[in-house]
Amino acid sequence: MSAQSHGFSLKEWIFTTDHKRIGILYLIGSVAAFAVAGIMALLIRVEQSSLGPTVFGSIEDAGNHYNTFLYFHGAAMILGFLIPGLTGFAANYFLPLMIGAKDVAFPRINALSVWLFWAGIVMALLTFLVPDGPDVMWTGYPPYSIKTGANTAFYVFTVHLMGFASILGAVNFLVTVIYMRAPGMGWNQLNMFVWSTVTAFIIQLVFVPVLAAAVTMLLFDKYLGTNFFNPDLGGDVLLYQNLFWFYSHPAVYVILLPALGILFEIVSTMSKNPIFNYKAAVYGGMWGIVLISGEVWVHHLYVSGMPNWIRIGQMVSTLLISVPVGLLTISLFGTLFRGAITYNVSMTYAVSCLFLFLIGGLTGIPLAMTALDLHLSETAFVHAHFHYIMGIFAAFSVFAAVYHWFPKMTGKIANERTGKIGFWFNFIGVNVTFIPLFKIGVEGMPRRYFDYQMFPQFETYHMIAMVGALLIAVGIAITILNWIMSAAKGERAPENPWNSASLEWTHCPSPPGPGNFPKDVVVTADWTPYDYGRKK
Amino acid sequence: MSSGEHAHHWEVSWAPLVATVGILFLVPLSFSTYFVYGNPLLSYIFMGVGTPLLLAGIAKWVAEGHTQKPLIAGLSPSALPIFIISEVFIFLGLFTAYWTMRLSADTWPPAGTPAHMNLVLPLIMTVILVTSSITYHVAEAKFDAGNKGGFKFWLFLSILLGAIFLGCTLYEYSHLIHQNFVPSTNAYSTAFFSITGFHASHVLVGLGIFLAVLFAALAGKTNKYFIFSAGVYWHFVDVVWFFVVTQIYYW
Repeated sequence: MSAQSHGFSLKEWIFTTDHKRIGILYLIGSVAAFAVAGIMALLIRVEQSSLGPTVFGSIEDAGNHYNTFLYFHGAAMILGFLIPGLTGFAANYFLPLMIGAKDVAFPRINALSVWLFWAGIVMALLTFLVPDGPDVMWTGYPPYSIKTGANTAFYVFTVHLMGFASILGAVNFLVTVIYMRAPGMGWNQLNMFVWSTVTAFIIQLVFVPVLAAAVTMLLFDKYLGTNFFNPDLGGDVLLYQNLFWFYSHPAVYVILLPALGILFEIVSTMSKNPIFNYKAAVYGGMWGIVLISGEVWVHHLYVSGMPNWIRIGQMVSTLLISVPVGLLTISLFGTLFRGAITYNVSMTYAVSCLFLFLIGGLTGIPLAMTALDLHLSETAFVHAHFHYIMGIFAAFSVFAAVYHWFPKMTGKIANERTGKIGFWFNFIGVNVTFIPLFKIGVEGMPRRYFDYQMFPQFETYHMIAMVGALLIAVGIAITILNWIMSAAKGERAPENPWNSASLEWTHCPSPPGPGNFPKDVVVTADWTPYDYGRKK
Repeated sequence: MSSGEHAHHWEVSWAPLVATVGILFLVPLSFSTYFVYGNPLLSYIFMGVGTPLLLAGIAKWVAEGHTQKPLIAGLSPSALPIFIISEVFIFLGLFTAYWTMRLSADTWPPAGTPAHMNLVLPLIMTVILVTSSITYHVAEAKFDAGNKGGFKFWLFLSILLGAIFLGCTLYEYSHLIHQNFVPSTNAYSTAFFSITGFHASHVLVGLGIFLAVLFAALAGKTNKYFIFSAGVYWHFVDVVWFFVVTQIYYW
């Protein structure tokens, strides 16, 4: 079925099978999830800013609200914003353009993916409409998740729907990259973002089903009376933790890889340098992460109980991850080296990501060490660590992506000045929020607790963290408003505003119409998306 | 907006959205209203809303698949094996749970398991399922030879065998439930019903795919990639059954 394109048509949006429009639908859904989950984070920071219940009423009410907000914040940020923002929005919009394809291999399955993701958003938002919204964090550990009076089913179905969307997306994009590259485009001519998405989707394909199995067992145990996690009748509680982290640790790389891919695109374009050590970064870095990602999950269970020799083995494999990650980092810095750097908003975000990545990565090393982790586990130190590496780093790379490709998507330039004001609020805000948490984490502040009566000395730090959260809130509001205002009234962008050599800028109009490319794309053997006139 | 000399319109299809709304009502909402909120009436209403939406979405999708020309034809035989990797891992998750429980148990089978499990029925079911794979293979051969009548006959036979297989599962379940062997009985019953049930749900989906192929064929429409992919999926379900039989019944 087809429809004419004359102005805005609701039908052409909600029934669309076009990868660019599906990408925009992903972006709207994930920014909405981000906004609501961000408000939850703000409420959590305000609640903790002083001892005792602060905003949520009596102790009991405060505890329950806090748990529900904590659940929604974690689940919606990871499943509703980071993963779909990167592998949904960014991959959908830019990957087919970068490989010179007219669409993905299976456009209808692509539409099914985005609507399953939206159905997952609906299930997550229902949390606020029922009196017993889930309170199980994003991890859903039994026995609590089974014994709680709250509704664990909504959590399980949110995971199911978004997981199914991810698996279908993985199949779709892997086939697209294998079969729909422009004629002449070899594997070593792919954009870094394309490689990062391919590797992320391989991880999704293999590990998401295991998470789906784990939460299904949870659902059956709680509502149908099965005994998977019931030790009284032969079940095993740790089984859940193992299955859960078997997916959820690699999920970190599902977020990390496309985020790095975006940084490579921006850093290369804005420094006018080809990728430094392309092959080492792709085959050693990205594929290295894929290979090791499945063998490190047990480090999430250091304190859950296991033989010591497994702890040692997991410490080694966890530290080994820093080798491919190091290759990618070297490649990023090498691409900046002696570049003709222009600091626009997206490049400012990209460079700040390198800083965030450094803090997040280095604080991961003590957590990989068993002897240190036994002390640091379940403290605010872990909380701050993974927010740097996974939350903020990846969120900033999504913002960078929106700014970098804003002219491609809208045909307009996003306001630079407002964008930078938003950036500084965000950047200062995240550091003010999370640096104090490192300090009190080392000193013993437990994570996840809604109150800390036994640690009155940490109150000041929590107050500082709240101020940081307020700064972020201002920054995010400025950022989102800037996008909306610029899309509506922004200055008309030139065809290739950053003088990029990548196909989506050189060969197709902004925004691209149906079918993307006015003429079929064919590339030559010496073409590269990073051809900035320098020797390779 | 310039769109050049290529496509001049935005491709649309209502099938994915309608199917998704159907899934949302049929599974998460009806399950939650029934099991979490104890409201069977609302649950049935949600199922009543979800089922026709899902079926309409699938029917439209299949119809479009038989009439529209994709950008590149013939990619589904490459996509399905990739999807099957995912399926393998979900089964591995369930088997891992079973192995964990079984290998850490003091005695096996645990208390509450019937003294004599029926080990003849799974043999018969194996024969039925393998035969259905063979009949489908014959159906494909008939199709390749251009024999539409033979194709439809052997396809119908495969569907019949699949349905008999599911009938055997239902018979077995009712028999076991009669002996008070239900999912909540012990670790073995948990694994038994989850793994055989999950496999049976795959048989059901396979039958649904076969029916979609059959209905289209009866209307005079065929798509060779669809027919091939349906077969690959069915053979995969067949292979999984070998693991189910050896691990769950005969170990």
